[in-house]
Amino acid sequence: MVDSPLRRGIGWWRLPVLGVALLTSLLFYVPFLVVVATSWTETSFIIFPPQGFSPTWYSDVLQDPQWTDAFKVSLRVSAAGTVISVVLGTLGALALTRLRSRTARRWIRTLFIVPMAIPPVAYAVGLYSVNLEVAALGDNLALLILGEALLAMPYVFVMVSSGLSQADPALRPAASTLGASWPLIVWRIDLPMIAGHMLAGAVFAFAVIFDEVVLSVFLAPVGVKTLPLQMLDASQEALSPQLTAASTLVSMLAVLLLGAFSLYSNRRAARARRRARKATTA
Amino acid sequence: MAVEEAVAAALPDTGRRGRAPDGAGERRWLLWPPLAFFALLLGVPLAALLRQALSGEGNAFAESVRMSVFVDAVGRTLLLAAVATAATVLIGTCYALAVAIGPAWLKALLMGGLLISLWTSIMVRTIGWMLLELPTGALYWLLEKAHLRTEPIDIYQTTGALYPAMIAVMLPFAVLPILAAILGLDREQLNAATVFGAGPVLTFGAVVLPAIRQAMISAGVLVFVMSLGFYVTPLLLGGPSNMTVSGIINGQLNNANRADVGAAMSLLLVGGTVAIYLVADRLFKVSERWG
Repeated sequence: MVDSPLRRGIGWWRLPVLGVALLTSLLFYVPFLVVVATSWTETSFIIFPPQGFSPTWYSDVLQDPQWTDAFKVSLRVSAAGTVISVVLGTLGALALTRLRSRTARRWIRTLFIVPMAIPPVAYAVGLYSVNLEVAALGDNLALLILGEALLAMPYVFVMVSSGLSQADPALRPAASTLGASWPLIVWRIDLPMIAGHMLAGAVFAFAVIFDEVVLSVFLAPVGVKTLPLQMLDASQEALSPQLTAASTLVSMLAVLLLGAFSLYSNRRAARARRRARKATTA
Repeated sequence: MAVEEAVAAALPDTGRRGRAPDGAGERRWLLWPPLAFFALLLGVPLAALLRQALSGEGNAFAESVRMSVFVDAVGRTLLLAAVATAATVLIGTCYALAVAIGPAWLKALLMGGLLISLWTSIMVRTIGWMLLELPTGALYWLLEKAHLRTEPIDIYQTTGALYPAMIAVMLPFAVLPILAAILGLDREQLNAATVFGAGPVLTFGAVVLPAIRQAMISAGVLVFVMSLGFYVTPLLLGGPSNMTVSGIINGQLNNANRADVGAAMSLLLVGGTVAIYLVADRLFKVSERWG
C-alpha cells in the first residue's frame, strides 16, 4: 500500500484534496437519496420532501403490467445481448494473444474498443434505417439485442484481455510442444485462467445493456418497452411516484446483486492469493 | 514488459514451427467470428445511413452544415464535452487521491458513492438530478430550510444544471483508472522524495504526476468521446435551448421528418467522434491501456 508515504509526500495539500472529494461524493449520494425518499410519499405526484411514509407506490408499481413487462423485456434483452458479447469479446481477446504482427494487434485492439466511442444516437439511427430497409428483420427485438451486444463488447474484451495478460506466456507454447491442438489449449489452458474475468465481463455487460436507453428509443417494437425506456417516458409525463418507486426497486436489486458478486469475487481472489503464498512457502 | 513480450514473441515460433497449419486454423476460428460481427453490425448500419443521407433531393450533408441549429449544437456539444472532461479529470484525480490517503471512514464513504454511481442506472441518476433541480425541487427545499433563498430557483434546463450531472455520470470512468495508477505508485520513490526534503508541490509534480499522467489522459479521452454522444442527461436536464448534436438528430427524424438530414448528421457525428478517438488513440496509446 502506498497510502502512508503518499500522505506524507502530499503534506498540507491533504486537506483541500479531502475536502474536494468529500463535496464531490455529495454528487453521487444526494440525487440517489432524493429518488429513494420521494418514492415513499403518500401523494399522487412526486414531491420533496415526501409527505407521509407508505409502501403504496411500491406495490402499485409491482402490480402495474407496464412496469413489470418492461422489466421482463429488459431482462430478456440483457441476457441475450450478454451471451453474444461475452462469446465474441472472449474470442477476440483470445485471438489478440495469437496475433504476431504488432500492427495487426494494435488495429484489432482499437477496433474492439471503438464501440465505446460511437455516439449511441447515431448508431441507433443507423440500425433503425437497416430495420426499415430489410423487411425480413421484422418488428422484433433481434436488432436491439445485436446492437446492445456490440455496445457492451468492449467491456468484456477489456476485462478478458486483462486476465489473459496476467497469464504465464510460456504455458501455451509448452502445451503446443507436448502436442495439444489449439482447441484443447483454449479449453484446458486459456478458459480456466480467464473464467473469472469472463464472469466479471458478463456482469458488466449485463449492467451496461440493462441501463442502455438510446437504442431502445429507436429500436423497440411498437408497444414494447425496456425498463429504461419506460422510465424515460414516465419522466417526461406527469411525475408519478411510480417512477421513483421503480427506480428505487431496480437500484436496490442492482446494489444487492452486484454487491454480492463483488464480495464473492474478492473472497475468491483473496483465497487464490493465500493458496499461492502457501505454495511458495511450502 | 519488454522481456515478457520478447518471450511471448519468441516462444510460439520455436514451439510451433512444425505445426504451421495450426496457427491459421486457430486464427480463423478465433478472430473471424468477432470480425464478421463487427463488419455486419458496424458496416451495414453505416452503409444504411449513407444510403439514407443520399436519398433526399438535395445534398443532405451540405444542408446540415449550413443549418445554424446544427452548427450551434456542434459548438455547444464540443464546449460541453471539453468543460466536462477537464472538470471530470481534475476532480477525479482529487477523488482518487483522497481514496488513497484519506482516513478509513472517508475511504468507505467515497468508495460507496462511486459504487452507487456505477451500479445504478444512468436513467435513475438523471431522474435524481431532475428532482433536485426542479424549480421547487429538493435543492430549493434545502436552501429554503437554510434560509438562503425564498423564491423558486431557475436552474432546471440550463447549462448550469447540466454540468454537475454530467460530471457525476462521468466521474467513475476517470476515478477508477486514476485510482489504479495511484495504488501502483512506487513507495520508495515517495519516501525518497520526502527524505530529500521535497515539499508537496515538488512531490506531486515529480513523483505522483508522471506516474498517473497516462491514466489521466486515457480517462480524459474516454470521457470526452463519450460526452460527445451524450443524449439522455442533456435531454432531461438541458432542455430545448441546450440541445446537443444527438438531440438535434432526434429532432430531424421525429419532428422535422427529414430522415436524410438526420442520417447525414449522424454520419458526421460518428465520423467526427471516431476520428477524434483514433487520433487520440494514436497519440496517447489509449486502447493499449484499456485492452
